Amino acid sequence: MTRRLRRLVLLRIRNQFLDWSGAWWFTVTLVASEAVGPLLGLVVWSAVLPGDPAVAGYFVALVAVQLLTASYENHTFSEAIYEGKISHDLLRPQPVIVAPIGENVAIRIWLGIFGLPLTLVTALAVGVSYDWTALAAAVPVLVGAAVLRFLWTWLLALAAFWTGRVHALVTLGGMMVFLLGGGAAPVWQLPDAWQPVVGALPFYAMLGLPADVATGSVHGSALAVAYLVQLAWSAAFAGVAVVAWRAGVRRFTAVGA
Amino acid sequence: MRVLVKMVRLLGIGFSMSLRRTLAFRVDLHFDVMMSGISLASTLAAVLIIFGRTDHLGGWTRPEMFVLVGTFELLTGVKAAFVDPNLSLLANRGIREGRLDHHLLAPAPGLFLATLGTAAPLSCIHVLLGLGVVGVGVGMTGRAPEPVAVAVWLLLLLLGTAATWAVGTLIGCIAFWAPKLDLQSIYGTAWQFGRYPPDIYARPLRFLLSYVLPLMLVAAFPAAALLRSPDWTTVAAAAATATTAVLAALAAWRAGLRRYVGATS
Repeated sequence: MTRRLRRLVLLRIRNQFLDWSGAWWFTVTLVASEAVGPLLGLVVWSAVLPGDPAVAGYFVALVAVQLLTASYENHTFSEAIYEGKISHDLLRPQPVIVAPIGENVAIRIWLGIFGLPLTLVTALAVGVSYDWTALAAAVPVLVGAAVLRFLWTWLLALAAFWTGRVHALVTLGGMMVFLLGGGAAPVWQLPDAWQPVVGALPFYAMLGLPADVATGSVHGSALAVAYLVQLAWSAAFAGVAVVAWRAGVRRFTAVGA
Repeated sequence: MRVLVKMVRLLGIGFSMSLRRTLAFRVDLHFDVMMSGISLASTLAAVLIIFGRTDHLGGWTRPEMFVLVGTFELLTGVKAAFVDPNLSLLANRGIREGRLDHHLLAPAPGLFLATLGTAAPLSCIHVLLGLGVVGVGVGMTGRAPEPVAVAVWLLLLLLGTAATWAVGTLIGCIAFWAPKLDLQSIYGTAWQFGRYPPDIYARPLRFLLSYVLPLMLVAAFPAAALLRSPDWTTVAAAAATATTAVLAALAAWRAGLRRYVGATS
């Protein structure tokens, strides 16, 4: 069963990857819109703390994290609900989640292809370097962040079963990730009283945490705790998403879509 | 002059129709008001976090940053209300799908209908919120701006609006030559650079944002005029930039129309 599911997901990724290969200009615009936030953060915080290598390293890593965890389920999955097209997926002998996962991963691969060279050029331009062991430790956290961001966006995208304002809702979710996840400012630059609260929220685990691990500022026991926090939030979001999906699909109606 | 009055009336009629359509959906209205408030609160929170670590950002103090953010929000509201709803359709539906015919056959000027024909009235909430933040920022500075400074601020806002419309129209007109090239979203992304003081950017980028893609005209120049004594060189440069952008947009529209083919689709 698991092997079959894995194969279906891989086939969907391949299918969507090829589908997106013709939309290279659109992908470039997506890369620009995802990268601009961290790049502005780099400029602003370099002006606030000039010559601080930690700030530059953090925001350059954040560009990569933002690109590789970007999720657009409100544009893909929610639109399919609005147009009644998920009825196609409901009739197939496979879980409906296969399609959103496949498209999500395929888009992220394309964002990585176009966006990682931009990250590299930025890193060279501002003269930051990373320790290889810290980068290796950041990889599983990045995968966890990607899963968590997907679950968060998919959960919000499921609101399309109940409301027509899903794009605004996902924008609101994105704002929370930006403000509380380390996009507006590194968590270690927040007031001292906020840091433990923000660090325990899921938003930091989605965005700022992998960048902090890549720069080496989170390591040892703090890193182990971070893995556990990511895992706990992923399990919580997955559980809520399953409940929301079951409730939503009972409301869903489509005729000949 | 009569043409101008006619266009203002048309703009008013289009806005009124869009407003009536919008007010029919009350829940959406409340949701959008809430979203605008949260969006602005998030921007201000980011500013407060920054000023928790420094007293100046690019030479601007916290109250001055409030005026800058408020002015940016105000122009963002104008752009979102009048420019974006039209220009997002110009390239896709208008030029690529050939629906520009409808505007070209109407008795009103085609450029006006294609770029200002419809509106998103709810986005005017940003204008009100922006004005509120400007008021708070000015209050925090502890000194009332001189009437001349307010007049120059308004003039620069007007020039910023004209430049915003013109750059958007220029970008939309690119679709006459390259229908698949969607630069509107890049423009929307670059717009975010206007939120911060010019001096935090490196010199080439600052020049680019001031005179090529005139995003400094949107917030930084007007806010500086309101807070400090107006710099007439900047006003003259802003007027020249906005006029050049408007003339370039008009020329691009005329040249693009000569290439346009549609079949009353």
